Amino acid sequence: MPQVTGKKRKGILGAATLVFIIAGLYWGLVKAPPDAYQGDSQRIMYLHIPSILTAYLSFFLVFLGSCLYLWKREKRDDSLAHAAAEIGVLFTALTIIEGSIWGRPTWGVWWTWDARLTLTAILLLIFIGYLMLRALVEDESRAASSAAILGIIGFLDIPLIHMSVYWWRTLHQPPSILRPDKVPWENIHPELLTALAINFVAFVLLYFYLLSHRLRLSEMREEIKSRRMN
Amino acid sequence: MKLLRQTLLLLRKDLLLELRRHESLMTMFFFGALLLFVFNFSFELTPARVSELAPGLLWLAFLFTGTLGLTQLFEGERGNHCLDALLMSPIDRGALFLAKTCFNIVLMGLVELVVMPLFWILFSLPSWQPLPALFLIVFLGNVGFCVLGTILAAVTLKARARELLLPLVLFPLMVPVILATIRCMEALLRFGELGDALPWLRLLIGFDVIFLTVGILIFDWVVDV
Amino acid sequence: MRVTVHQLAKAYGYFWALRDLEIQVAGGERVALLGPNGAGKTTLLNLLAGLIYPTRGEIRLDGAPLTRQSNAQRAAIGLLSPGEHLYDNLTARENLEFFTALYDRQRGPIRNDDAIEETLEAVGLGRWAGEYAGALSSGMKCRLSVAKWKLLSPKLLLLDEPYGVLDGGGVDLLESFLKAQSEQGSVVIIASHHVARVLDLCTRAIILEQGKLIFDETRREPWDSFARAFGAFSPGGNR
Repeated sequence: MPQVTGKKRKGILGAATLVFIIAGLYWGLVKAPPDAYQGDSQRIMYLHIPSILTAYLSFFLVFLGSCLYLWKREKRDDSLAHAAAEIGVLFTALTIIEGSIWGRPTWGVWWTWDARLTLTAILLLIFIGYLMLRALVEDESRAASSAAILGIIGFLDIPLIHMSVYWWRTLHQPPSILRPDKVPWENIHPELLTALAINFVAFVLLYFYLLSHRLRLSEMREEIKSRRMN
Repeated sequence: MKLLRQTLLLLRKDLLLELRRHESLMTMFFFGALLLFVFNFSFELTPARVSELAPGLLWLAFLFTGTLGLTQLFEGERGNHCLDALLMSPIDRGALFLAKTCFNIVLMGLVELVVMPLFWILFSLPSWQPLPALFLIVFLGNVGFCVLGTILAAVTLKARARELLLPLVLFPLMVPVILATIRCMEALLRFGELGDALPWLRLLIGFDVIFLTVGILIFDWVVDV
Repeated sequence: MRVTVHQLAKAYGYFWALRDLEIQVAGGERVALLGPNGAGKTTLLNLLAGLIYPTRGEIRLDGAPLTRQSNAQRAAIGLLSPGEHLYDNLTARENLEFFTALYDRQRGPIRNDDAIEETLEAVGLGRWAGEYAGALSSGMKCRLSVAKWKLLSPKLLLLDEPYGVLDGGGVDLLESFLKAQSEQGSVVIIASHHVARVLDLCTRAIILEQGKLIFDETRREPWDSFARAFGAFSPGGNR
């Protein structure tokens, strides 16, 4: 994990995040045209899609950190997994709220058990379970190992959960970007795609910005621990 | 093969202990039967509806009794710190995983063998014919549940609020197994054969195989700090 | 057997149970591990037994580091805690059968069953061989533990407070067993509060306090420096 916790790097990251967030908001809310059927309420997609993608990115980082930790037993890999999970919960919860807000004008209800919402809810539960496991195991290194195992199993299970939930329910509109049979940009108006892309970058940058702060917190804790020994 | 020998040794010990104390098995039996009674009072189970609801209800019963079995899984080793004795010994951790998983599969299998016919009797289901095939499907689901459950039971062994934590981390991960078994059971009850539900069976078997392999490889890291 | 402990440290959260230990023990030595409660004796024994892993530093047995994968090395380590590591609902005989099978001690010129019966007789449990281990008194359970490790014959034998539950006969039994093991080249490490008793038996004494090593002397006549450092300890108790 490159040293993203240095002050200067964080500053640059923070600035870049801000720029992209502003650009994304502009593109999404002003520049891109409203959807043919859904009108302006469709605009929440510019937040909803990037946040779910970031949530999955987050889980991937948990998986990566977990594998590295079990292999090398370095504290910083464990910190990565932990931090990624904490911020991942945030983005997943955000995704659900956004999905719910979009659902209300579109379907008339705050919640349905369609594939996407259900999957996101399951992901949230897995994240929460992960964090609770860390909180409830007493010994720190045992907590780290236990969480690492859960992280790996959870990540391996996600494709299976995806398949099973999708086969079970298909009310939600087919994901326009992630349809396997069509080339991504054929489906969408280019302006929409640009707005989406900018917002996606904004979210990823925001994610890493928060992650770097959280990692710094872990580093400080380790320092305290080392000093107490001597 | 060494792994097999060690697994059988541990499994034999667990079954012997269970035979003498039968703590786990008895509680699981009675809990399963009790749930069937609760279902009767909670749901309007007319003959028309009961075939529809049977897979879901049965799985509810098995999930809860299975979780009961899981939380007790390492209880036999708790007295006198016997788990430490096993961990100190030269056995392969994978053997410990296999033995505990098989033990739980056996326990759950016995419970299912009793609860399913009981369900048929209590709710007067029309035909006994689908039962053997249903039992096979439930058994495959059982394997998936026990494999993941054993890993997570070991992982949460030293956690506080363990009885609550284990279901919390286990159930979301069990979604593929639950959906697959219920769909297969529905198909069997409605049509007498799997037909369209065949992909679900493949998913179920795939799940079992994947996590059985993962469990054997990963158990080394599970039982220690 | 040669045991090397190098810069060993163990932390539980922010609490350091052991700090920077350096110890070397050769085969044939019997080491008394002493210190007040909370000094880290049990932590050290658990680390040596491979039950927990160091936060820093390493342990080597015969030059090979003790790691998570050290299954072969585990076959040579034994931890005797009175009343522990026995199945209450298996008989004395079944416990021994199980553990000898576990440690793969079934091969050899003598049929294993005979060895088990002989050992049960030798520790005075002949009459109770068919009793559940849970029904035995704590003194008898300790004898059963001795029987178990006699059969398994570890090269590194660790004992955690063995003296509390044994009667006179049991103590003699234990001590002759330990002497026999060390004569065969095993390392014996005993943690105990029964200072006088354990010092009598051992060839070397190590004192821990708050996780640090404060004393490490091999017995030789006269016991001068040893007696001085030991001034504050009274027999059979802690500070």
